[in-house]
Parts: sequence; C-alpha cells; structure tokens
Amino acid sequence: MSLVKHKVVQLAVPDKPQPERSCSEPASSLKNADAAGRRQAAREIAQFPDAAVTLVSHLKCERNAAVREVILTTLVRLNDRSAVSGLADCLRSEDAALRNEVIGTFKRLGDEVVPVLRSLLADPDPDVRIFVVNILDSELHPEVESWLIDVIERDTHVNVCATAVDLLCEVGTEAAIDPLVRLKARFQFEPYIQFAADLALKRIREV
Amino acid sequence: MTSYASLPETGPTITIEDFLKFKEFFYRRTGISFEASKRYFVDKRLVERIEATGTANFRSYFTMLRFQASGEELQQLTNLMTVNETYFLREEYQFKCLVDSILPEIVRNRNGADAIRIWCIPSSSGEEPYSIAMCLLERWAGITEWDVEIVSSDIDTSILRRARAGRYSARSVQNVPARWLEKYFKGVGDEYQLSDDLRHAVEFTRVNLSEAADTLVYRNFDVIFCRNLLIYFDDVSRTTAAETFYEAMNPGGFICLGHSESMSRISSLFKVRKFPDAIVYQKGLESR
Amino acid sequence: MRRILIVDDAATVRMYHRGILESAGYLVEEAWNGIEALEKALEAPFDLYIVDINMPKLDGYGFLRELRQQQIAQQPAVMVSTEAAAGDERMAYQSGANSYLVKPVVQSQLLSHVRLLLGEANQ
Repeated sequence: MSLVKHKVVQLAVPDKPQPERSCSEPASSLKNADAAGRRQAAREIAQFPDAAVTLVSHLKCERNAAVREVILTTLVRLNDRSAVSGLADCLRSEDAALRNEVIGTFKRLGDEVVPVLRSLLADPDPDVRIFVVNILDSELHPEVESWLIDVIERDTHVNVCATAVDLLCEVGTEAAIDPLVRLKARFQFEPYIQFAADLALKRIREV
Repeated sequence: MTSYASLPETGPTITIEDFLKFKEFFYRRTGISFEASKRYFVDKRLVERIEATGTANFRSYFTMLRFQASGEELQQLTNLMTVNETYFLREEYQFKCLVDSILPEIVRNRNGADAIRIWCIPSSSGEEPYSIAMCLLERWAGITEWDVEIVSSDIDTSILRRARAGRYSARSVQNVPARWLEKYFKGVGDEYQLSDDLRHAVEFTRVNLSEAADTLVYRNFDVIFCRNLLIYFDDVSRTTAAETFYEAMNPGGFICLGHSESMSRISSLFKVRKFPDAIVYQKGLESR
Repeated sequence: MRRILIVDDAATVRMYHRGILESAGYLVEEAWNGIEALEKALEAPFDLYIVDINMPKLDGYGFLRELRQQQIAQQPAVMVSTEAAAGDERMAYQSGANSYLVKPVVQSQLLSHVRLLLGEANQ
C-alpha cells in the first residue's frame, strides 16, 4: 500500500444527460430519487418547458439543502419570469433556511426581479418587507437608494425602517439626509433607530 | 521591503480612524478581518493602491472603493491584501490535521479498500501536493494499509510544467526537515530537485474550476485542499466552485481552505468541523 | 471577563448591541452569519451567544442546532427576532435558545436577560 497514481480522473464516467428523455422522467426523479439523483434531475430539467414552475413547486417540499441549492442555482440560470412569483411565495415560508436561501437567490437574479420587489415593498406582512429590503443591494438597481428613502419615509414598522437604515449606512448619499432626520423624529423614543440613523448620517457626511 | 516609516512624507497618510473605517468596510464586503496589529500591513497596501489609482487621498480612494459599480478596485485590493507565496509545508497545521484527524475518520467510515483520493487545487508549482505526499509517507501510519491517490490541478499549464519538474529554491524548502530533505531531494547548484518517486506519486492536471465540462470527471474525492483560491473569485464563481466540490466529494469528505478563508460567505453545503489542529468543512454523510 | 458573541448579518445591529454590552463590561466579538459564528464558537466557546434568526447561508436556528450538537458545554443563547410570532419563539427554544427577545432590543432588557443567563442577576 502506498501513494498510487492511476486512472486518476478517468475513474468517474460522467453521467451524460439523455436528450431524448421526456420531462416527466427528471420530474419524477425529482420526487423519487435519492439526493444525488434529485440534484441531477434538477439540473437536467432545465432544458424542458415549464422547468421553472416544476422546480419552484418542488422547492417548497424539498428537505435536503444540497438539492435546494441546485434548484435555486438552476432557477438563477433559467432567469425565467414565471419562477419569480413562486420564489416570492417562499419568503412567507415557515422554514427560515428556505427563506434565507431564497433571499440569496433574489440577490443573484438581477433586473428580472425588480417589478416583483417593488410590489412586495407594500406587502401587508412586515417580515416580507424586511426580507425585500434585505434583497435590495447596491448593485441590483440604480434606484435602490430612492426605494430605501421611500421605506424610511412611509413604512410604519420599526424593524422594516431599521433594516433600510442599515443598508443606507452603506449606499446612502446626501439625498437621504433629510429623510433620516425625519425618521429620527418619527421614532424619537426608539433608541435603536436613533443610533442607526445617526450612524448613517455620520457616514454620509464623511464622504 | 519598504517600511511604513520610510514612505515619502508627501505620500498619502492613513489615520487610525481611516484604518478602522476601512477595516469595517472590508470585513463587511469580503469577510476578511484585520487585527490592529496588521495596521502597517494594511496601511502600506492602501497607500500603494491610492498611488496606483491616482486618487488624491484616502478619503477619495475610499469613496471610489465603496461606490465603484464594477467592484474592480475592491478585487485589486483584495488580491493585494491576500497575496502569499507558496512554499513546502506552508500552513503545516492543516497537514497535521489531515494525518491526525481527517484520514483516521475517513478510514473508520470506509467500507471496502478503495484508494483514498485527495485533490489539491490550485496546484501552483507543486509545493502543496508534494508536502501532502511527504506527510503521508512520514507521519501517517495508515499508509501501510491504504492506497492514496493525489491529484493536483491548476488552470495554468506553465505552472503545472514546473510542478511536474519538481525543481525548487532553497527558500521554498526551508521548512522541510533535514531528514526529509536528504531523503526526497537532491541538491543541484543552489536548488533542490525532488526525487522521481515523489514526482510520480502526484498526478497533475489542468482544470478550470468555473468550467462545468472540465470538472465533470472529478468525482469520489475524500479530501480537497483549496487554499487561497476562492478569495480571488467573485460571488457567483465561489458558489459554483463550492457546488463543484460538493459533487466531486464522497459523502463525509472534507475540504480545507486557506488560513484566512472561511466558508461563511460562500456556501451552506458543508458542515463546520473542529479538530484539534484546524477547522475544516465536511460534506454530510447522509444523502437522502 | 465574560465573552459574548453577537451573531447578526446587520452591521448596525452588531454595533448597537456591542455598545450596550461593552459598556456593561463584557468582551464582545461579532459574527456575520451562522457559519462564521460556528467557526468562532468551535475555536473557542463563548460564555453567551446573542443570535439573530434570519441570516444568509446559516440562520440562527441552524447555528444553535449545530452548536448544541457539536459542543459538550452548553453556553446560554439569546435569540433575537424581528417579529413576536409565536412560531418563531417556539422554534427558537426547540433549536436550543434559552431566551427570546424581539427587535429593536431595549438596553435594559438585553442586559437583564444576559445577566440572568450568566447567573449574575443579583450582582
């Protein structure tokens, strides 16, 4: 027994996708196979019509994080509008891990998600609004700052505003100064808002 | 090396407030945190980039760094903050972890007698895979019972040629114990030539980690060393790399990252495992 | 000095909690998500953890479950949530939290939970 060098990478024969297979095959593997089989099915399904819908509907009941990760990566690659609203539903899931994976996925989706996010900023559930603010990222859209300003001017929930202020610490410009001052007045008895808004103001004035 | 004190007085200066502000920003964006003791190291590199980009001072450089849409300057700076030369037995505690903790656990869970497979990426000029080979031969009793295959990959074919040749500078082998040096190397002028036995014990291959077609055949690895590579990738490439590793590993396999790297910004696919010598990442045993 | 780890993806929240705890004499470290927190906690356990629920890559529940599974000594943890939803609170205790607070956290409340869990209530 010793250090050996043989067969090295040829050991594993790649599992080539079979182009003539119908969608029902990977779709049923997605339900029935073991985790490795489900990961492979999630990749293969991408080439069939309605792939995004099938993947999102499976996502909600998939318990294995590694399989969910492949589903989400495939959805990002598909960049299919029909997937976005199904994904948005997952933000309401009881499963914290799924919610956070979906937030991460939204961040990678780019401009496709912008209209959906805009409408979700008015969602009645404050937790959903917090998640949407979390998704807003400086690189996602040039108007992010104005949306955040909108949030701190209008949203009545302290934690939605707090999340927006945290992001304004990073992306805020002079346009945010007056809204931050008004936010402080609106939540004058919330020490955390005072702290976070002061920090954002300090950052903006430093630049 | 130019010391901080000898920088020209007219050059940009970094105040302690600047340092703290930068430290917090850099941590937010990259997950790399610097202790106060690293101040001179950080300042020196900041000054270097301020001068290279022609920005007037720290303030305007920092603004550019924060708001540049391409993120190009942040990447440049990250490269500069993390660049390290490689040498034999670098970050040796991980090799100790490999022979004392990781391999014992792998053979304990092993059914059958398949060879244990180790993948080093990036290979660079070969110091790392050869260090692993020597550590296995010299420090792991299990080598008498188990076959081990070491595959070492890099995107750069010229560096792979150098790795296969196995010729090293005195500086590169300075941490190698004298007995090993005598056993596995031969002095050639002021350089050291690695023995043919060891050179032939490692398989060197060219791989682009971001190319699915390249990585498809890399499967059934028990341990992956991927040190100081992912730090140079953008977010998407990092995630893709983590998924590639996941597919390339046997259930229960381990990944070792570089000393300053963490999986925390990359992927949730792996479990964090603490061993006496190191923190490493593990693919779950379960596959349901 | 007692060491406390603050686990939260919002930098502003970490700074705020840090300020409160440091002024009360605790030694504070921060982690950005559950994985980073695990790396730090497994390296050298803390006396107490203050843990946000929603974080990227590994959320607060996942962090506590892993920590409880991998560490023999069970240091106390305060779970911090944005909503007073009953489901969240139940999940927090099931994952191994010892107390539960709703954001934004008030200084006196945070300190009283911390002191209670560290057995310093009467000092």
